[in-house]
Amino acid sequence: MRKVGIVGAGITDCRGRWIEATYWDLFQQATRRACEDAKITTAEIDSVVYGIYNDIFEHQAIPESSLTGLIGMANKPGTRVTSGGATGFYAMRTAVMEVASGTSDCVLCVGGEKATDCFDPRSKTATPMVIDTIAKSWDPFFEYPLGATASDSYMQLCMAYNDEHPGDIGDPLVRAKIVEILCHSGNRNPYAQRRDETVTAEQVMTSRWIIAPFLRLLEVCMYTEGAGAVLFASEKKAREISERSGQPIVWVRGIGAANESYSPGRGGNYKRLHRIDSDRIASERAYAAAGVKPSDIRIVELHDAFVAQLMITMGELGFVPVGRTRTLIDEGLMVDPKSLRDDQPPPSGKLLVNPSGGLIFGGHFVGGSNMFSTWSCRREMTKRKVPLGMVHGTGAINAVFGGAMILELDERSAR
Amino acid sequence: MTTRRGQPALPLDFNLPRDWREIQGRDGRTYLQFTTHMVTFYEQTYGEHSRFFMALRGGRLIGSKCTTCAQVMVPAATWHCPNCNFAEMREVELPHRGILAHTAPVTVFPSASFIGDAPFARGYVDVATDAPIASYLPSRLRTTTGLERPGIFVKGIELKLVFEDERVGSIRDIFWVPMTEIPPPLRNKQPLLASELNFASPVPPEVKKDPAKAAAKDRAMAAMRKLASDVERSRRAQADLANRAFVLGIKTGGGDFALDVANSRLLIREGLPDKSDFILVADDPDVFRAWVNDGSLTDAAVEGSLWLPNKEAFQVLPALDRLPRSTRRDLREAK
Ligand SMILES: [Zn+2]
Repeated sequence: MRKVGIVGAGITDCRGRWIEATYWDLFQQATRRACEDAKITTAEIDSVVYGIYNDIFEHQAIPESSLTGLIGMANKPGTRVTSGGATGFYAMRTAVMEVASGTSDCVLCVGGEKATDCFDPRSKTATPMVIDTIAKSWDPFFEYPLGATASDSYMQLCMAYNDEHPGDIGDPLVRAKIVEILCHSGNRNPYAQRRDETVTAEQVMTSRWIIAPFLRLLEVCMYTEGAGAVLFASEKKAREISERSGQPIVWVRGIGAANESYSPGRGGNYKRLHRIDSDRIASERAYAAAGVKPSDIRIVELHDAFVAQLMITMGELGFVPVGRTRTLIDEGLMVDPKSLRDDQPPPSGKLLVNPSGGLIFGGHFVGGSNMFSTWSCRREMTKRKVPLGMVHGTGAINAVFGGAMILELDERSAR
Repeated sequence: MTTRRGQPALPLDFNLPRDWREIQGRDGRTYLQFTTHMVTFYEQTYGEHSRFFMALRGGRLIGSKCTTCAQVMVPAATWHCPNCNFAEMREVELPHRGILAHTAPVTVFPSASFIGDAPFARGYVDVATDAPIASYLPSRLRTTTGLERPGIFVKGIELKLVFEDERVGSIRDIFWVPMTEIPPPLRNKQPLLASELNFASPVPPEVKKDPAKAAAKDRAMAAMRKLASDVERSRRAQADLANRAFVLGIKTGGGDFALDVANSRLLIREGLPDKSDFILVADDPDVFRAWVNDGSLTDAAVEGSLWLPNKEAFQVLPALDRLPRSTRRDLREAK
């Protein structure tokens, strides 16, 4: 397997709705910015991997077909990846494998979503239709007819976790303090959807219930329209591009992925409801591939659909003990970006979690959310000279899809 | 979501008029949008799942059991065991009782297809409890004690399987009720039908009266009377109440009162009304003071601190919840 590096990345502005652009233009914007970042033209790109979660949102059954020519990928190989919330992660994994295998020297991985053109005729708002479209991720026989939504799917995990570990994610103040830190991060991301908002712990704890007792309105991720692109290159190509662009290479040091069974149950290979084993197994594989351990990592960009799930995922990724994830706040492990200069690494033993603002304050354009996370992780590692970072993705009913990618700042640039 | 035969698969009001409309972008320019849809209809076969749904129609619950490892799948998602090199799985009859595998969420803001059904509870039920390995059945959870709310469907409780009287072959043909709510003579009945249980007139919970709560009730009454008088001077609040008329009787640990909405006005009276549309119960009267201070009755119902008899009662809360904000905005502008 060849070494693979990230040589460029670009994202669009994250918006609740883009009236000014269709997904054609959003994908082009992200691609253009990634090329500008790497100082390359599309002629240097060998192939493309698209991350598009859902045909219904794009309102086209082969949405990537209309993009090919518009993003300069005509007459090149193109693969679309769709894996629920983990679409972006799996698209990047595909792009990395394509370079690692020697098939291509430079691969564009671009993903995005146009979700809020959906409109519910009865409530005259978008949200119930967006939720319904996502609810079509459930099977039509057993789960969808019960009214399952993404929120209560993740909440039933959180409730099952709380059954086993009471007093951890169940403390509303701990969750609210995490939201406050994420808000400060979102304020520092010029592309973040909620970059101008100020949300205090107090406001979180009095916001409207979505699902009692773990999920208030200010603890939930957003729906975002936007796109993100990441350019992966072989070692030789990456060094050549890096020389030209002046941008340090961020190497993909290890990738791990795991998908659990769809059905929850007792024993065997059934999904354990009180754990997110997909996150655990994926990260164990990523650590093994990279030859590092959680304590070596200082920056994590993780898929935070909901704050309580962020806490469990931090446990599954090995940063805090499962059952005592509240140490993120209790022991100050999750550092507030307000306490750091923009070029300062987090102090030893502390972690910068979702410096992009995550999916709650930054943006969540499903097919490209993990590219958004990668864009941010690379940006922060470069700016703060942090040697190792992690990007995480999760998705599908009951968070059964999981992925983790460990990034390493090129040592010549890290000094 | 309805499971009756003969009704349109897509409700008739689930539609938009054809329209091409100019809208303004963030950049101040004009853009064009059009209404459209992406609807597909299906005559979807249940295929290998047919046996499971045919059994439901017949008032039976079945699973598939592996001839090698003895694991049980319920629902019978496959007839070849994925853990035993696809060994044959055979039909097994399952008991009409189960254990709730984890504390279940209550959905308040459902997707477009389920608006009107909320709040509702769903969770995973461990049915094949004798099997060494078993899947859980995704299930509707219902209570005979009023609205589904936190605190009822907690991990480990025993549940009784109940069948709808009219069954079509849908996962909604069945639901589960806490065993403690089932009258003892019915606990072993198979199948137990929905019509044999009383969902229509739940018994309101008891409140514990005490002087501290009485004082809290007085404070809540004062706050609500102030709100009612503000409504008289607020066009927004009157619009919130337009074309609505209902009487709520409210029992609290500090005493009872009535909340009367008619002619775009809100009236607060001492004592329970002679005739009411719904009786609501809150042991702590402070729920109502919190509502006036920009809190929410919906939130109180979601948390379980406000008891409601049914979903219809839940539907009147959003209009009431808008009043504090509407009056505050109008009165501030009047200053
Ligand atoms: Zn088997």
